[in-house]
Amino acid sequence: MRLLELALYFGFLSVISVGGLASVMGELQRIAVQTQHWVAPEEFVQLYALGQAAPGPNVLIASLIGWKVDGLAGALVALFAMCAPAGGIAWWVSGLWERFKDSPLRATLQRAMAPMVVGFIAAGGVVLATPGAPDWRLWLIAALSAAGMLAFAKLNPLWLLAGGGLLGAALL
Amino acid sequence: MYSDVKMDVAPPRTLTELFLGFLSIGARSFGGVMPWAHRVMVEERRWMTPADFAETIGLCQFLPGPNVGNASIVLGKRWFGLRGALVAFLGLFALPFVWVMALGALYADVSSHPGARAAVIGVGAAGAGFFVATAIKLGRALVRKPGALAVVAGCFLAVAVGRWSLLVVLPVAAAVSLLLSSKKLL
Repeated sequence: MRLLELALYFGFLSVISVGGLASVMGELQRIAVQTQHWVAPEEFVQLYALGQAAPGPNVLIASLIGWKVDGLAGALVALFAMCAPAGGIAWWVSGLWERFKDSPLRATLQRAMAPMVVGFIAAGGVVLATPGAPDWRLWLIAALSAAGMLAFAKLNPLWLLAGGGLLGAALL
Repeated sequence: MYSDVKMDVAPPRTLTELFLGFLSIGARSFGGVMPWAHRVMVEERRWMTPADFAETIGLCQFLPGPNVGNASIVLGKRWFGLRGALVAFLGLFALPFVWVMALGALYADVSSHPGARAAVIGVGAAGAGFFVATAIKLGRALVRKPGALAVVAGCFLAVAVGRWSLLVVLPVAAAVSLLLSSKKLL
């Protein structure tokens, strides 16, 4: 039953995650913490941090949440559900996209999608940095990390994560 | 090197080669997959040209789902059909999955330690900053378009402040945005 819930919720997220996981971070937090109570608010940030510290696509947070809910089976089901429906769409659209290469409809769609993705990604950042009551220390770390990423394009993001860990240990 | 300029590219010849390529992307992709995908497929193994890579990733960014995960499916399909899509996808996720599970298990042991918790929450907050930075990078192209900025603000406020479900926000935003876009207001 819990596996089915995981499959359905992550499958839903997969289909609507236009622009990647970042776009649905707010929604994932809403489902996992507020609606389904799979994880505590603070725990959600910790799992996200673990997903970031590991190599690989950041959707791995899905497998960590699945693992919290139902062990290894939960981890596999959540990751598969998060990837497969979107993968199916990618499979189908990649052919179609080629055919409509010069279509004005394609350009209209791209223009419509761009600002939505930007708004959802920014919202995902704020949701992640606000696990409980607003905390200026978390916002400070997030702001410094964002500034670092913008100022030093070539810097490996791992350094910023490490800095965030140190600041967290010092401030929190 | 001149041979770099000429850029002879050839797709992977066998499924094993495809699998090993994606395995090495997944294994090394600390701090982001995209740069490593480029390194392995364009620079090291020369499966595709930089332009081809950019176009494929561009399409995948526009689709739902993890970008490089989608790219593994799209490219695997292009080169070997369904078997290729599965093999590339599994190669990409195999090692990161094991690694993240191991980290999770390890963390469960130390999570009662306040210092470790604080550090991990700090890492999470720094990761949250990546989202903000990415949004700013992508948003720079939209600064001079009031219609686009209005859509950005609406989507942001609905999710970050309103905490509304995307189930509601996405269709409304898509309708408004498509309308603006078709009237050339974006």
